Amino acid sequence: MTAIPQPKRKRARRDAWVIACYVVIAIFLVWVLVPVITVAVNSFKVPSAIFTSTPQLSFTPTLENYAKVFGELNFAQYLVNSVLVAFGSTALSLIFGVPFAYALARLPIRGREWWARIILFSRMVPAVALVVPMFVLFNQLHLTGTYWALILAHTTFNLPIVIWMMRSFFEELPPELEEAALVDGAGRFGAFWRVAVPLASPGMAATAVLCIIFSWNEFLFALVLSNQDTETVPVGVSSFIGSVSIDWGGSSAAAIVAIIPIFILGFAAQRFLVRGLTFGGVKG
Amino acid sequence: MTMSYRSRATWDRGGRRLGRGMIAVPAILLVVLIFGPLVYSIVLSLYKWQITDINSGKPFVGLDNYVRLFTDPQVLNAVLNTIEYVVGSVGIELVLGFIIASALFEMTKGRKLANSLILLPMIIAPVITALIWRYMLDPQFGLVSQVLALFGVKGGVPFFGSSQFALPSLMLVDIWQWTPFVVLILHAGMLGISEEQFEAARIDGAGRWRILRSIVIPGIAPQILLVLLFRTMDTYRIFDTVFVLTRGGPGTSTETIGLYTYQTGFSFFNLGYAMTLSVFILVTVAIISGFYLRLLRRREVFQ
Repeated sequence: MTAIPQPKRKRARRDAWVIACYVVIAIFLVWVLVPVITVAVNSFKVPSAIFTSTPQLSFTPTLENYAKVFGELNFAQYLVNSVLVAFGSTALSLIFGVPFAYALARLPIRGREWWARIILFSRMVPAVALVVPMFVLFNQLHLTGTYWALILAHTTFNLPIVIWMMRSFFEELPPELEEAALVDGAGRFGAFWRVAVPLASPGMAATAVLCIIFSWNEFLFALVLSNQDTETVPVGVSSFIGSVSIDWGGSSAAAIVAIIPIFILGFAAQRFLVRGLTFGGVKG
Repeated sequence: MTMSYRSRATWDRGGRRLGRGMIAVPAILLVVLIFGPLVYSIVLSLYKWQITDINSGKPFVGLDNYVRLFTDPQVLNAVLNTIEYVVGSVGIELVLGFIIASALFEMTKGRKLANSLILLPMIIAPVITALIWRYMLDPQFGLVSQVLALFGVKGGVPFFGSSQFALPSLMLVDIWQWTPFVVLILHAGMLGISEEQFEAARIDGAGRWRILRSIVIPGIAPQILLVLLFRTMDTYRIFDTVFVLTRGGPGTSTETIGLYTYQTGFSFFNLGYAMTLSVFILVTVAIISGFYLRLLRRREVFQ
């Protein structure tokens, strides 16, 4: 009973430590969020409110910049292009990647380890090593400048992700359900198509979201393999920054327009985000 | 689980045939899209191919391009810049990420919210990140410069405009965008350490530092390796932010190997040499990732 004071002191020290931890997280969140918020705020400012020597917190918000983004900057075209490329590449990667993943997870195939390593290696191949030969090849095939060029190029990173992610989702399914289907005479393909695929569909949705995000954000392939009509959002945004006099308000508004769909998707798939980014290395 | 499944009557011919079919078509796509261009770049790296020289054609030059690769001072400069960028960014991200993950681990309330807010930077396109930081670090109207001015640093620091600050500024952008990734992975690793281990250590009277050194760090060793693998590979290929923010300048102070390859191919139109540089990147990537993957496989990640 009389020995209570000592743990009390210990607890006080522990409380101080926990408070310090909260402070660290708070500082980190400020550092993470302030740049995004600054650009968001700038996107509602007229130039005279942006170009000040001290940060201005009170100003009259305007939608002028957003009107400009969709008006003279023709940003809607970039958005349409990005959507087409992202959905095209994601669909292609799923169509080819899901069966491959299932075969790796469940079917008696030869060289399973070997395939797994090839897929892992293709995740490591950087776009900078592929873009030059791909540009030449696509030029010869008259694909450069088409949506197909970008869709195929983005499939180089999305297909390995689909295979690796879906393999782990298929492996996590209880095999008994597919066995039951086999017993009922469904056949191997029926077990895959009518049992495994519907059961793995939440994982498939998460994988699709990741592919869309990666494709939406990709820059190098889009820069090299597109033409004026097929440029995606990052290429459009980069052209604002490259010019000598930058339109701060306009480009900030463009950035916010480009970010919003990704934030929505990112939150929807946040549980699987780290898994996708680490290629299944962290299950999370 | 899968083992027992495989060992049953499912090693049937139908399964094998289906497996072959399911593998074949995507494998062809992989070969055409990834391994095709790689082989193509190896072949074309043996040719002199300057597309601005219409008359010279495309003569076979053997290993000339590789001789140039190893004697090109710009390659050396680009490799050194890239190494500086990789080591600086990844090192700081790892230390910072570890501190923040540890703090997050101690939180009881609001951890979920913090988690979702933390992941924001890493889902933003690098080009947009570049734009955001172009404005944050503007010498005149950027928030950072304005805050620095309050502390007496007047006149504005030319972050991207001076060869002294440009590369560190690019590293700052990388650190902003990817420290969250490190935090989330290391935090996931910490959550995977069993409560009993902490309990046992506390009963033995181990202090906070002792627990950190003997339980937390060994416990998250696979995650640390994983972070090193992905961050090293992704910083090594750095292109987007450099291209948008500095184009390798001022001078060649921020020229990285990825940017040099791009410029060789698409600014100087020397496709033969650009292919050689592509092969160089590929080989170095294979060596570095092979090294990490071996370490990871020993810890039973990526089996």
